[in-house]
Amino acid sequence: MRSRTLLVGVAVTMLVVIARTTEGQDASGAPSTKTVWSGVYSAAQADRGAGVYTQHCANCHGAGLEGADMSPALAGAGFMANWNDLTLGDLFERIRISMPADRPGSLSRQQMADVIAHMLRANRFPAGATELPIETPALRTLKFVTVQPTGEGR
Amino acid sequence: MTRRLFRSILFSTALVGAVALVVHGVSGQSAAPSTKNGEWPHYTGDARGTRYSPLDQITAANFNRLEVAWRFKTDNLGSRPEFKLEGTPLMIGGTLYATAGTRRSVVALDAKSGELRWVHAFPEGTRGANAPRQLSGRGLSYWSDGRGDARILYVTPGYRLIALNAKTGQPVQGFGKNGIVDLKVGVVFGNEQQIDLETGEIGLHSTPTIVRDVVLIGSSMKEGMTVTTHNNTKGLARAFDVRTGKLLWTFNTIPRPGELGNDTWQNNSWAINGNTGVWSQITADEELGLVYLPVESPTSDYYGGKRPGNNLYGESLVCVDLKTGKRKWHFQLVHHPIWDHDVSSAPILLDVTVDGKPRKLVALPSKQAYLYVFDRVTGEPVWPINEVAVPPGDVPGEWYSPTQPIPSKPAAYGRPGLRIPEELIDFTPEMRAQALENVKHYKWWPGDKYLYSGTLYNPPIVGNVKGLLGAINLGNASGGTNWPGGGADPETGVVYAQANLASFASESVAPPPAGFSDIPYQAGVVGAPFRLREAAGTGTYADVPRRREAAAPAPRPAAAAAEPVQSFSTVDGLSIVKPPYGVLSAIDLKRGDLLFQVPHGDTPDVVRNHAKLKGLTIPKTGQGGSVGLVVTKSLVILGDPQVTTTPERGRGAMLRAYDKTTGKEVGAVLMPAPQSGSPMTYMVDGKQYILVAVSGGNYSGEYISFALPDVREAPTSSSTQQ
Repeated sequence: MRSRTLLVGVAVTMLVVIARTTEGQDASGAPSTKTVWSGVYSAAQADRGAGVYTQHCANCHGAGLEGADMSPALAGAGFMANWNDLTLGDLFERIRISMPADRPGSLSRQQMADVIAHMLRANRFPAGATELPIETPALRTLKFVTVQPTGEGR
Repeated sequence: MTRRLFRSILFSTALVGAVALVVHGVSGQSAAPSTKNGEWPHYTGDARGTRYSPLDQITAANFNRLEVAWRFKTDNLGSRPEFKLEGTPLMIGGTLYATAGTRRSVVALDAKSGELRWVHAFPEGTRGANAPRQLSGRGLSYWSDGRGDARILYVTPGYRLIALNAKTGQPVQGFGKNGIVDLKVGVVFGNEQQIDLETGEIGLHSTPTIVRDVVLIGSSMKEGMTVTTHNNTKGLARAFDVRTGKLLWTFNTIPRPGELGNDTWQNNSWAINGNTGVWSQITADEELGLVYLPVESPTSDYYGGKRPGNNLYGESLVCVDLKTGKRKWHFQLVHHPIWDHDVSSAPILLDVTVDGKPRKLVALPSKQAYLYVFDRVTGEPVWPINEVAVPPGDVPGEWYSPTQPIPSKPAAYGRPGLRIPEELIDFTPEMRAQALENVKHYKWWPGDKYLYSGTLYNPPIVGNVKGLLGAINLGNASGGTNWPGGGADPETGVVYAQANLASFASESVAPPPAGFSDIPYQAGVVGAPFRLREAAGTGTYADVPRRREAAAPAPRPAAAAAEPVQSFSTVDGLSIVKPPYGVLSAIDLKRGDLLFQVPHGDTPDVVRNHAKLKGLTIPKTGQGGSVGLVVTKSLVILGDPQVTTTPERGRGAMLRAYDKTTGKEVGAVLMPAPQSGSPMTYMVDGKQYILVAVSGGNYSGEYISFALPDVREAPTSSSTQQ
C-alpha cells in the first residue's frame, strides 16, 4: 500500500516536471509573452466581430454565445476550461480549419480575428488600444489563461 | 453508383498496396472471438451490452504506470479533421478495426503497434453530404464463419451497409450488390412512400449488431427539435443475412394498421408522422433468440400536437424475435414523448439471482437516470414501475399523457429532475438566494404534488422573453446517461453507468418563422431569434463542398437581429445546480440497490478558480457530460468528459480507474483531450491494452492505446518493491 502511494507520488512529480518544461510556450515552441488579460483586442474590433458572429456563427452557437444541444458555448465556464492554457493562435486555427461547420474556409482571416475579439469581450477579458493580429504566429504569442496573472491587465 | 463503387475499390486497393499489408491472426481461427480470449468482438464487448472483459493484467496496483502504447490520429481519413470522434474499435485476432474521420472510413490496425494494415473509404458525394448523422460513427461489426470467411460490416453516413473482407478491406462480392446493401431501399415516409435515395433523411451512427449470422440495423434521423415536417421518415429496425445481405425482416417502430399499437396514433396520425428511429445500440440474446430495440422519440422532439395518443413504439424498449422480427413484448418508458428522452442506451442483458431467484434480465440506463429492469423473456418489470401523475401542459394543440411510468426500484442513479430548492447551488448563502431568484424565470411546480418539484416530465411551455422562458427539466435531452450507455459485470450482476446531473434545461416551444415547417410549434422562445438546431457534425462530411466549389448557402430562417434569450441557468458563472455535476454509479441487481455512487471527473476550473469560492473547502464535484465505460475483472474505467487545468498535472483530462466493488478511485492517467468515445480493452501476446477515443476543443480525433511498460523501473531509494 505504501509503495503504491510512493509510485503515485513519483508519477505526479513526473507530470509536474513535464508541465514545467512546456510552461510559457505554446505547441509550436514559440514564447508566449502576453495573455488575454492585457488588452489584446480593441472594442471597435469586437463590434465588427459581433456582426460577423451574428451572420455566420450565431445559428449554432447562439446569439449570446450560449451554445445549444450539439454546439458548444463560446462563453462561460465550459469554453474557458476548453481553451485555458492554449493560445489565441490555437483558437484561430481551430476556427480556420473547421468553422463555420457547414462552410469552413468561408471567412477571411480578418473576420475570424474579429470574431475572436467578440468572444474575448463576451468572456469579459479587457479591451485595449490595439487590434488582434490576423497572422497565426503572432496570435500564438497571446496566451489564453482564465485566471488573471498577478499584476497583469485590469 | 457503379462508378462510385469502382472509385472506392481503387482507393482501397491503392492504400492496401502502399501500406505493406501484413495480416496475421485472423485467418484460420476457429474459436469464436470472445472477450474471454482477450478480444473485443462487439461494440459493447459482447452482444449483450455489458462492456465487460475478464482481463486482469491492468489493476489498481499498476494503473498509474500505464503509458501510451500507440496513438492513431484520424485527421487524414476524409477531407478535413474531425473533432468529435465517438468510436469504440473492435479487436479480433491481433487486429483492431475502427471507423474514423469525416468520411467514416474503416481502418484495420495492428493492435500491438497501431500500424495501419488497410483502409477502406466509400465516397458518397451529396448523399453523404445530406446525411443526418455525419460523424465517423460509433464503430463497426465483425463476423466470421470460423473457416476463413471473416467480415467487417458498417453503415456509411449515407445509409449503406457495406461488408468488407476482414483480411484485405475489400468489399465482399457475394454480399448485396458488390458488397453493398442500399439501406434506403424500403425506407418510407407518410403512407408507405419510398424516400428518395439521394436526399431522403435517414442514417445511423451506431453499429450493426451481428448474432447467429443475422445483421441487425437500426435507424436515425436529424435532430428533432426544429424540423420542417411532422411527416418525416419512419423509423425501423431490420435484419439481414450476413452472408448474402438479403433482407430477413423489418420491424416498423410506427405500427401500421392492423398491427398492435396503431391505435396509439389517434386520427390515423401514424400515416403523417415519422422518426421513432432506433439510433442507440441494439443488443441481443443469442441463446434465447431475442433482440432488444431501444426506440427514440417521434416527430418532433418537443411538440406532438400532430400525433395525439401515446405513440407506440416511441421511447419504448421493444423485444423482438431474432428469426422473425415479431414483437415479443414492449415497454414504453415515456407516453406521448415531448421531452427528447429517447431510449438512449444499449439494453444490458444479465443473468442474476434476484432475491434468491435466478432471473434473465434486461437493464436499461436512461437520460432520466432510472435503471429500468425487466425480465427479458416476459417483459415484466422486476420491481414495480408505477404510473404516476405528471404536470399538465397548455401548449395549443398538444396532447398530454396525465401519467408516466416511474420505477419504484432501483432508486434513480442520477437526477431525474431538480429538487427545488434542495438541489440548487449552495456554495454560499448569497448564491442560493440568487438561484432562487433565477428559477422564477422558469416554469416548475413548488410543493409535493409532483416528483422533483414538477421538473420530471415537466411539459414544454410557449416560452416568452418577456415572461417565463421555459419549463425546467433535468433528466432529459442531455441529462443522465446518453448514447455511451452503461456496462455491467455479468459475474456479479452489477450495472455501472455514468450520469450527467447538471443538465439544466429550459424547455420551450414557439411558432417557427413562416413557411419553415408544417408543425405549428418548434423548440424556441417567443421574441428570441429562431435557431435551426442540427446534429453534431452536420456539414462536416468529407464531400460537403468547400467554399470555392459551394453554391450560395441555403437561406436560413433567421431573425438574427433579435436579442439573445437571457439565461438564468448560471449563478456567478456557475451551474445553478449544486454538485455533484456528474457521477459514476453501481447498481446491484441482486437486490436492486445502489452499491456506490461517486463523483466522476475533476472539479471544473470555474469552481476551483472562482473568486467567490476562495477559502471554501469544496469536495470533488465531478463533471457534466456523458461518457461510456469498460468493466474489467477488478476495475471500472472511464475518462473525464471535460478538460481541466490543475497545478499538479497541467492541462488535460484523466482516464480513471475505480475499484468496481467500492467505487474508490485507484488510478488515473492523463489524456490530451476529453474522452469522446467509450473505452475498450484487449490483450495481445500476453499484454493488456486499454484504448479510448479522445477529441474536442482544439484537439482532433485520436485513438490512444495504453499499456503497461515492458520494463519495470528499478526501485529507487525512496520506494520499495511490493
